[in-house]
Amino acid sequence: MATRKRSRHVALVLAGSAVMALAACEDDRVDAQSFPDLASCVAAAQENSLWFTEADCRSNFANAAQEYLETAPRYESKELCEQEHGVGKCEGDPTQTAQNSGGGFSFMPMLMGFMLGSMMSRGGGVFSQPMVQTADGRYSTPKGDQSFASNRGRARFRPRPSPAARPRWGKRRSAAQPWRSAAVSASRRRRARVRAAAVWGADRMRPTGLQCPV
Amino acid sequence: MQKIDLPERPEWRIRAKDVGFTFADMNGEPYWDETSAYALTLDQIEQDIEIPSNELHQMCREAVAHITGSEELMTRLDIPRAQWDFVARSWTGGEPELYGRFDLAYNGESPAKLLEYNADTPTSLYESASFQWLWLEDQQGLGALPGDSDQFNRIHEALVERFGEILDPQTEIHFTADKDNPEDFATVETLAWAAREAGMGAHFTDLSGIGLSDQGHFTDDQDRVIGTLFKLYPWEDMLRDDFARHLDASQTRFLEPAWKAILSNKGLLPVLWQMFPGHPNLLPAFFAADVADALTGGTPAPRIAQAFAAAADQLRHGHVTKPIFSREGAGVAIHESGRVTEETGDDSYSHHPMIVQALARLPEFGGFHPVMGAWVVGQDCVGLGIREDRARITHNLSRFKPHFIQG
Repeated sequence: MATRKRSRHVALVLAGSAVMALAACEDDRVDAQSFPDLASCVAAAQENSLWFTEADCRSNFANAAQEYLETAPRYESKELCEQEHGVGKCEGDPTQTAQNSGGGFSFMPMLMGFMLGSMMSRGGGVFSQPMVQTADGRYSTPKGDQSFASNRGRARFRPRPSPAARPRWGKRRSAAQPWRSAAVSASRRRRARVRAAAVWGADRMRPTGLQCPV
Repeated sequence: MQKIDLPERPEWRIRAKDVGFTFADMNGEPYWDETSAYALTLDQIEQDIEIPSNELHQMCREAVAHITGSEELMTRLDIPRAQWDFVARSWTGGEPELYGRFDLAYNGESPAKLLEYNADTPTSLYESASFQWLWLEDQQGLGALPGDSDQFNRIHEALVERFGEILDPQTEIHFTADKDNPEDFATVETLAWAAREAGMGAHFTDLSGIGLSDQGHFTDDQDRVIGTLFKLYPWEDMLRDDFARHLDASQTRFLEPAWKAILSNKGLLPVLWQMFPGHPNLLPAFFAADVADALTGGTPAPRIAQAFAAAADQLRHGHVTKPIFSREGAGVAIHESGRVTEETGDDSYSHHPMIVQALARLPEFGGFHPVMGAWVVGQDCVGLGIREDRARITHNLSRFKPHFIQG
């Protein structure tokens, strides 16, 4: 018998049917938490994290910082930069050297934080996004393709789906609905009788898993 | 085993709300109740709950092999004849089980007695696996329980391991239940999180959204084919619904497998008693049709006459009648010395065949009768969830009580 009789961790949060009804054929919803800096991420991981560790913070912060340097826009002047990102939220480009002057585009928004995300339809899979400020005081990725209200706190959101992954089907439900009972619940059932399902021909092809409609 | 008064965690209701445990109170009554907790010793957990439950599960597997091979018993368990092959093949094909919950009568001293096996659609999984776990961690942090106290609760880790054992990596699993029932949904969601941690894809689809494609496959609410389906919907209903004839041809992998229809059936109990008479963790049990006359002075059916004679005094002193299909105590009545002394008002299952089981006297702690829910994941007992009720028939207003193992 094991000396310890209980799990080292559990799944504590019930997200509800809206979150669980994930559509793999569409995009995945993302469980996300944002941090102004690495230290606040580490502190959160140590305190009570359900899905990321201190090591996730460190490696993803490094990735986010690198992505920030590669993708953040550069501006000709500090003023132009501040028009887009707010006063006091811009700085000189640290990657600029005398040999690589960038044609005078040497100001960029400051790294204001980063977001850790976890694809909820899979175990594991923590990824990160850098954040800069926007003119209206919000935050966005340096590319501007995702925006956030704050650089701290938790959220769930649906990242912009890639067009290829979006389902496109012309036909609506081709299916009879055998489990169409109004109030079926295993624990507390007062079940209505299930209505008849239509008869369909059956072949023997075994479904191997979730197959998206074409 | 003791029941110990403990301070409730400050603001635990806010915490419950934050983590989505919305049914901590139900129908104006507390469901999660941490004003007290059950304390057991490690020896009681291992020797009286864990080891016997492991053995009971193996006995149940033997019973499935026996029953699926017997037309007579398949008939007595009221498995629809058209589905006999489907059910039997799920067993002979080695389809794996995921989880179940034994309900045991246990007083801390005498051997635990099997009341029934919720082997198909057991709920209260979230409370047992997660919120109870959090309670222990919090109470230790607050100093209300010593740091060397523990809990019989490896449920979550065992589920993650089990999903990994029985399914190929990255299998897409559909989970279905009634989305409007928070208790059912919480059980399904707890399983889905474990599946995801095991690297599976987990997708919820409401029961009413499941369809049947023109290829004969079941489909989800977005018309995607379902390859593997966890259903919190009883097999006894699935085998009878109008679409039952499509179950086999759909080639779906079902969790639980169809042979769980035999274990969640109270007809299992007389078969177990026949196969393992006198087992310390079993109560004498018979099909009512075999002993109804004998209990009122007549003669029992010849094939069980000897077994009945051995148990007759015990049964006349006290026995319980239950429909072979029943949930939440529906249709259960306690008979003592020839009189019905307690019954649930709910007779929605009472048109089914009945069984007779010797009465196990539930212990009483502060006016409540606890029933031990011994969780089985795969083939191993891995955790405990205790529910208690003022009545001796545990029903759907019972309370969930946390437990701990004394250090």
